[in-house]
Amino acid sequence: MSISKLLLSAATVIVAASGASAESHLADTSDKQIALSNNYAGNSWRQAMLTSWEEVTGGAVADGIVAAADANTTSENQATEQAAQIQNMILQGYDAIVINAASPTALNGAIKEACSAGVTVVSFDGIVTEPCAWRIAVDFNAMGQKQVEYLSERLPDGGNLLEIRGLAGVFVDDEISAGIHEGVEKFPQFEVVGSVHGDWAQDVAQKAVAGILPSLPEIVGVVTQGGDGYGAAQAFKAAGRDTPLIVLGNRQDEMLWWKEQNEANGYETMSVSIAPGVSTLAFWVAQQILAGEEVPKDLTVPFLTVTQDTLEESLAATPVGSVANANYTLEDAQRVISEAKGAK
Amino acid sequence: MKTLVSRPWLWSWVAAAAAFALTMALTGGGGASALAYAALGFGAFAAIVGLGQMLVITLGPGNVDLSIPATMTLSGTLALKAMNTEPGTALMGLGVALLVGLGTGLANYALIFFVRLPPIIATLAASLIYQSLAIWSNRGLRIKPPQELADFATGRFLGLPNVAWVGLVLAIIVWVLLERSVWGRWLLASGQNMRAARLAGVPVELVRATTYVAVTIFAAIAGYLLASFSGGAALNMGQEYLLMSIAVVVIGGTSIAGGMSNVPGVWGASLFMFLVVSMLNSYGAGAGVRLILTGLIIIGIVIVASTRRAQR
Repeated sequence: MSISKLLLSAATVIVAASGASAESHLADTSDKQIALSNNYAGNSWRQAMLTSWEEVTGGAVADGIVAAADANTTSENQATEQAAQIQNMILQGYDAIVINAASPTALNGAIKEACSAGVTVVSFDGIVTEPCAWRIAVDFNAMGQKQVEYLSERLPDGGNLLEIRGLAGVFVDDEISAGIHEGVEKFPQFEVVGSVHGDWAQDVAQKAVAGILPSLPEIVGVVTQGGDGYGAAQAFKAAGRDTPLIVLGNRQDEMLWWKEQNEANGYETMSVSIAPGVSTLAFWVAQQILAGEEVPKDLTVPFLTVTQDTLEESLAATPVGSVANANYTLEDAQRVISEAKGAK
Repeated sequence: MKTLVSRPWLWSWVAAAAAFALTMALTGGGGASALAYAALGFGAFAAIVGLGQMLVITLGPGNVDLSIPATMTLSGTLALKAMNTEPGTALMGLGVALLVGLGTGLANYALIFFVRLPPIIATLAASLIYQSLAIWSNRGLRIKPPQELADFATGRFLGLPNVAWVGLVLAIIVWVLLERSVWGRWLLASGQNMRAARLAGVPVELVRATTYVAVTIFAAIAGYLLASFSGGAALNMGQEYLLMSIAVVVIGGTSIAGGMSNVPGVWGASLFMFLVVSMLNSYGAGAGVRLILTGLIIIGIVIVASTRRAQR
């Protein structure tokens, strides 16, 4: 880092005394405005995502790191509505838009307009394919594979698996499922004997599992996409079957159930999902780009995994009825950026 | 004319039985009671919201309630928040749910009557408000139901799920109201020809108001039970009941043009909607195939049921 750049960031050093490591602030972003464009708020993951955004960006605005960080959610989860929202944000003069997109492709036109107007666009979770935008993606395929890997450690003899998928036709559902099936190819002692769509909703998953269970042989493991493990456990219980090894998705009620089972009969499993606080990682990445940092266009978010050892701790940190979460800091964002640079 | 074959509700029951038999053919008869039990339990939720939707659709063309999912979510969320997992609060929670149903029903009807909005627009717009209230009231946090209520919602009586008993009792009440009460006759008359009914002295607007309140009360009861059944209210818990409530009414043989209700058909169609998904899942059909086949089967049943009706 050059001397002149250090001098440039001197002002930021003073305002960012709240612990944010300021040496990589290349430019002052205290007059910059960042907007969150969110396509959906109707489940607890999205609610936790918005709460994290408020907490972290509220602090950043109070500390003078950025001037504004407004969250906007569309009501109908539709690409057309979100495209209009982005156009409004361009007119309102935001410097950066952080977006969880309704569609990977349908918003590309609006995003290109934003880029042409000099607005930095950072997409996360629901990412966009438009090349001018940054992407903070989740390796969903690896998330699926990881589940089967874990099952192979716990159940070396293998057996029959039940797969609970998400919402049909959504990219995330296809990716996780592909990962699971690649995992099963790698560990051929397992066979997926049944597959249902739980729409990432517990009651739907419970209903679908209850419907398919009577026609299934003995099940040793259930691979899931998060948010549906507790419903599956209820369906197994209602059918009078032994509880198989169910991979959970970091929800508080799932983890509480796991803890109760563990105390009652030594039940052990794992839980994996994406922390809703990934919105705050995207915020810091946007801030770094505005500060002039060189950021690769494709970044990867780490998973949030809960194991038997970390169960108590995660459970204690998760509000009742919510999802295990992690708020990201500026340092986390810098680490993710430098890792992505190293990979190139 | 009164032969069994001419009854439009028959076809949903035939379809449900066929789906059940086809699933059993795969398992060789194993798990029959488990499948029937699951169908009755999960079918009950669709039946309860379907009964409400049936009353509204009976009012005639253009009458439909699209606020059912949001009302379910709001009633489940507020009731569980009010109970706060404390024992002995189940009835109080039910009271909260019923008040939510009353409130959303009155609000829907106020939009339809005073603002003169078409029911589709009025209930859809209002549902955005109800959904937002549910989000605002609890930010999606999941509160567990009190233990005795959870036990009731997932329990059984005389071998049948408790929720199925609730659905059955509500179905009988609706049937008696429709077939044996003045209100039911008024509803059917309004649905057949609203102008003629008004000229004949039927208090048409009173009938519409009570119907729009009845549907949200049914949705509120379903939301309360579903939230207790699945261990807490979720913001997306009502989602699949939007199309489901309309599908079970149409498959059940109720005329979409209004003026003719069919209570047994709603139950048959609710069982069918659960069983057909279970059947296709059991045969390992992928999501695409499953959705296409479900659509084709529904169209087939509606065609069969309506041609039978036309021949009468």
